[in-house]
Amino acid sequence: MDVAIETHGLTKRFGRRRALDGIDLTIPPGQVFGYLGPNGAGKTTTIRLLAGLLRPTAGTATVLGLDVVRERDRMQARLGYLPGSFVGYADLNGEQYLRYLANLRGGVDWNVVTSMAKRLDLDLGRRLGVLSHGNRQKVGIVQALMHRPELVILDEPTTGLDPIIQQEFLGLVRDVRDAGGTVFLSSHIMSEVEAVADHVGIIRDGSLVLVDSVEMLKRRALRRMDLTFAGEPPQSLSAIAGVRELTVSGSTAHLAVEGSTAELLAAAAPHRIEQIVTHEPDLEEIFLSYYDGRG
Amino acid sequence: MVANVFTKTLRDQRRSLIGWSIGITTLVLVEGALWPSIRDMPNLDEFLSSYPDAFKKAFNVGAMTTGTGFLNAELYTLVLPILFLVFGISRGARLVAGEEESGTLEVVLVTPVSTTRLLLGKAAGLLLGLCVLGGVTGLSTWLASASFSMGIEPWSIAVGSVSMVLLGLEYGFLALAVGAVTGRRSIAIAVPSVAAVGAYVLYVAGLMVDSVSGWLPWSPFHQALAEGPLASGLPSRFSLLVLGALVVIAVAAPVFARRDIRVG
Ligand SMILES: Nc1ncnc2c1ncn2[C@@H]1O[C@H](COP(=O)(O)OP(=O)(O)OP(=O)(O)O)[C@@H](O)[C@H]1O
Ligand SMILES: [Mg+2]
Repeated sequence: MDVAIETHGLTKRFGRRRALDGIDLTIPPGQVFGYLGPNGAGKTTTIRLLAGLLRPTAGTATVLGLDVVRERDRMQARLGYLPGSFVGYADLNGEQYLRYLANLRGGVDWNVVTSMAKRLDLDLGRRLGVLSHGNRQKVGIVQALMHRPELVILDEPTTGLDPIIQQEFLGLVRDVRDAGGTVFLSSHIMSEVEAVADHVGIIRDGSLVLVDSVEMLKRRALRRMDLTFAGEPPQSLSAIAGVRELTVSGSTAHLAVEGSTAELLAAAAPHRIEQIVTHEPDLEEIFLSYYDGRG
Repeated sequence: MVANVFTKTLRDQRRSLIGWSIGITTLVLVEGALWPSIRDMPNLDEFLSSYPDAFKKAFNVGAMTTGTGFLNAELYTLVLPILFLVFGISRGARLVAGEEESGTLEVVLVTPVSTTRLLLGKAAGLLLGLCVLGGVTGLSTWLASASFSMGIEPWSIAVGSVSMVLLGLEYGFLALAVGAVTGRRSIAIAVPSVAAVGAYVLYVAGLMVDSVSGWLPWSPFHQALAEGPLASGLPSRFSLLVLGALVVIAVAAPVFARRDIRVG
């Protein structure tokens, strides 16, 4: 299998409303793919099509090499899935619920369940009906990962999780990738995707507007820098290609650079730089620009 | 332990089955306890003939001078059928449509379990639940017959119970099937309820209006009740009820497999 997920012209209409409009996506195995987009963009629709819960209006999708319509059950057997609004049986406790799903799937190593529950600080003995929102979400995460699937599709997995558990969760996601698996997760939160994803896709109004690696995005992103000179910062800085938002306070120039910093550094070097502080590139801005249609 | 969809369905019914069993047992025993005083009414025949004709036909009032006829008229022709219908329809509507509306179906479907296997597992669970209620109905009828010397043959009791189970099955499976096709519990309750009322009206009309009587065999109530339903022979008409129940599931399965699953 050389692709984990592949779609061609994937389209979904609800009545007259077009929720998804010809998505072409190829995701190779062994990576974490972050799927971003504003509310109502079509993230959940894409995910539910891939999980075999919706039927495409047009186009095709294969997951792990299996057609999501014609080979749905075989595909679902190998998939881990966390819905956007996960709901389990309120009258079962965590262990009963997960054992039921494990029985439906077969071949689940229960040690995996207990160790994951421990990592996420989840009490399997309590009924789902009395669990807090975040703790219920943990049950959803465990059921999606417990059979060690080759591909995990997660719809906004971190909703309701506190920051510490979010970190644990991201660790679980990395573990899947390190074991050669693929993770497809949707989110609104760029920082979360940035922390774990290798590639991102941005969807808006049912169309993919960008698919790229996080590394490439970072290279293209605005990088904020503070340059402190021995004397006055040179006037010529603002004329350099890619430099934005230049402000000067004393002997320090605060600025943002788009793309390569080579030209800036070459121009600044003759002016006796005392200190350079570079901030992490801010992907958020790129995403906001795509979100509201400027991108 | 919940090992599969079938056992999960049974587990979900257990409380409700206990409640319904207690209710049905109480009802049958109380009704049976009335029998000795009815039987000993000096002018029973006269009293019965004063009923309106329609009533006499629908409930076979003429046979009420025996214990079998009494229970047929008092319980097995209307009250018990309604109870089995309510149980079958309300449980059947919950199985797929209810689970889909609550959102729990979503994760269960993204497993190796196909929509058809899920549907069949749930249907089997509902069938067994109805059989339990049928068994309870039969046992309590036998107990009432023995305690109040009603003289009802065990074989008749078995046939009567089977008839109740099959009525519940027909409309319970219809509710399950409509739920699997639409994903909406309200529709899954409404369709079989309306169908049952229609079939009952057809049954009663068929008994009274000659021009309608040709349609009688189409009514599941006729199929289930015509012989008693506490009766000495197992009517071949029962097979129509089984057939009807199987057909609605068979029609629903491919639709369920092809339609979108709704989000909670
Ligand atoms: N069953 C449905 N019937 C009609 N319209 C639907 C249905 N499901 C989704 N839609 C519409 O399709 C569009 C895409 O919805 P979707 O749930 O995929 O968005 P999303 O990207 O997941 O949004 P969010 O970030 O809010 O979760 C929305 O306009 C939504 O209203
Ligand atoms: Mg969504």
